[in-house]
Amino acid sequence: MAQLELDDLTKVFQDGKDEIVAVDGVSIDIPDGEFLVVVGPSGCGKSTTLRMVAGLETVTSGQIRLDDHVINDVKPQDRDIAMVFQSYALYPHMTVHDNMAFGLEESTDMPDSEIAERVEEAATMMGIDNLLDRKPGELSGGQQQRVALGRAIVRDPEVFLMDEPLSNLDAKLRSQMRTELQRIQEDLGVTTMYVTHDQTEAMTMGDRIAILDGGVLQQVATPLECYHEPNNQFVAGFIGEPSMNFLDVDNENGTLVREGFEYPLAPEIADRVAGRDEVVLGIRPGAVEVEHTSAGDHRFDATVDVVEPMGDENTVYLLFDAWSDDNALVATVSGMRQIESGESVVAHIPEDAIHIFDGETGEALHNRTLVDEEVADVTGD
Amino acid sequence: MSDTSTPATDGELDGSDDARAADRPGALERIDASRVALYGFLIGLLAVYMVPIESGLVTSIKTSPTGVSETLPYMPPLLPETLQFFTTEKWQTAFDALSRGLVSSALYAVPATIISAFAGSLAAYGLTQATWKERYKAPILALFVAGIFIPLQAVLVPLSQFWSNIVNVADLLGFVWALGINDDYAGIVEMIVTHVAYGIPICTVLFRSYYKNMSEEMIESARLDGATMRGVYRRIVLPLSTPMFAVVLIYQFTQIWNDLLFALILISSSASPAAPVVLILAGLGQSMEGQDFPLRMAGAFIAALPTLAVYVAFGEEFAEGVAS
Repeated sequence: MAQLELDDLTKVFQDGKDEIVAVDGVSIDIPDGEFLVVVGPSGCGKSTTLRMVAGLETVTSGQIRLDDHVINDVKPQDRDIAMVFQSYALYPHMTVHDNMAFGLEESTDMPDSEIAERVEEAATMMGIDNLLDRKPGELSGGQQQRVALGRAIVRDPEVFLMDEPLSNLDAKLRSQMRTELQRIQEDLGVTTMYVTHDQTEAMTMGDRIAILDGGVLQQVATPLECYHEPNNQFVAGFIGEPSMNFLDVDNENGTLVREGFEYPLAPEIADRVAGRDEVVLGIRPGAVEVEHTSAGDHRFDATVDVVEPMGDENTVYLLFDAWSDDNALVATVSGMRQIESGESVVAHIPEDAIHIFDGETGEALHNRTLVDEEVADVTGD
Repeated sequence: MSDTSTPATDGELDGSDDARAADRPGALERIDASRVALYGFLIGLLAVYMVPIESGLVTSIKTSPTGVSETLPYMPPLLPETLQFFTTEKWQTAFDALSRGLVSSALYAVPATIISAFAGSLAAYGLTQATWKERYKAPILALFVAGIFIPLQAVLVPLSQFWSNIVNVADLLGFVWALGINDDYAGIVEMIVTHVAYGIPICTVLFRSYYKNMSEEMIESARLDGATMRGVYRRIVLPLSTPMFAVVLIYQFTQIWNDLLFALILISSSASPAAPVVLILAGLGQSMEGQDFPLRMAGAFIAALPTLAVYVAFGEEFAEGVAS
């Protein structure tokens, strides 16, 4: 078990004469036993970051430290790190037992009896103790995935690295494995770096989330902090499902304006955005209230365009009557509520739930005020 | 081989279909023109392949020269009136003449095949899974590919010069001949080295395409599991190469066993105790009185038997390797 530190980590790929910066100055401290989820769209550099920690990619600049030892030039086989791959990467010619024993046989001088014991133990933990004599080809996807995890667990490494390990499973199995993985990680207390593109996995699994975009670290914080207090527009849009609504507006002396839209701000919020002409108004779909009152401050006449029933809630796409473009505002309402396409409603954008971002840099100028002070107090770095 | 086995199993299936055709009215309708044509074509193909073998076998059990001239070609001399022309003596004679050649051929063909396949596999591993820069791999791969295209004829003179002037095996291995082994066997050593050198490029390229398709994540996983480069090769790559080894072993063995050109240059005389089967076969059944066709046929079969045996032994893995 160990503390993992990434310090100004950078990876540049050479493509002919072009330089492609895959990872750009990423610094993250992962304390001992933490479950850190690295999330971002494809091509954001999250897998490259993980592969550098594993030693499968060279580091262009910066440092990777494991318990204060720089491991940049340590060979992968000497790092005492276990990795679970998206494809599971099982050895097809070996039985489940041999697959799991391989790491211990190669990296330790442990006697066979002890290896067998530990394999047995890890297999029981993963619920695959009855499959030990089978070969990977005879297993289902879910079982293979358990073997891949078991193979990592049995080594009892300093760090677990997981590269989208659940993405090949069907939805039901995925949510089941999500819970199980969390439980196992908590039980073992091994420092874990988990890469995914799925924001649901990021929200539900991680102690903290690191969000990457274009190789640059956007935010490292607890899931709720990322959700409620995003550093910037990218984080706000990436975390949360359905994603946050964004409206490009002009700031005219404390009133957000666009064609057929005026949104006056309270003085305290107006102060924060003062001096920025072009800003982006953000509002979570869940915070938008669909009402039947008349239009007024922060209330806008709208027409229901599409309703997507999800069972427990409906996702409603609203078109503002005063807008000529078909920029829809997404709102979620209770699944019990009857809303029909074509219905005229009033969309209420409550002022205490809005986020405001700088129009150019995307930096968050104002985040929603939380009633629950406890959550608001969670400030990581 | 897989070509002939596929229709055979289909045939069995059709046979069982016929048995149940009564309770399945659709069974007969499924036999359409294209299927008939396909089977016609396959049977024709089978005939093309089998006729030379059949005529060779039939000829090899006839007496010479009267048996060959007095009986119908393609017909075995087993009818009561032609039984007087039947003999197994030619097989006996051919075997007596070729047996020492079979041993000599095996002495170089087996080691050369195994060494070239193994060396090719190692080289391909280094060219694919080993982590060094792609741009250094390319020129080395180009060298291997170029090695495949060097025509045998072009190397004959340099080869004989090399083995007589630069590396003289007969001199170098003096201690072996002192043990009472005929120094003609120096030719066997030369054959092994020459065939290994000539076989490595094609083996490397064959293995390389196979290793290219091997899961990269699996290799990386093994390295993270603590395995060294050698450990990954020994425990992951080598066991997974079995199908490709079958392909390479069959290919190389057939090439080396049947090669006459190097044998002529390096061993030259069929009278040598180290003479391989191909050299002895070339002169078998030829005399002033004319050609002894039955003897030549019997000899050809005996000389071909080892390659046939290798095909049969590795057939299943071969099919798997070719399919990948």
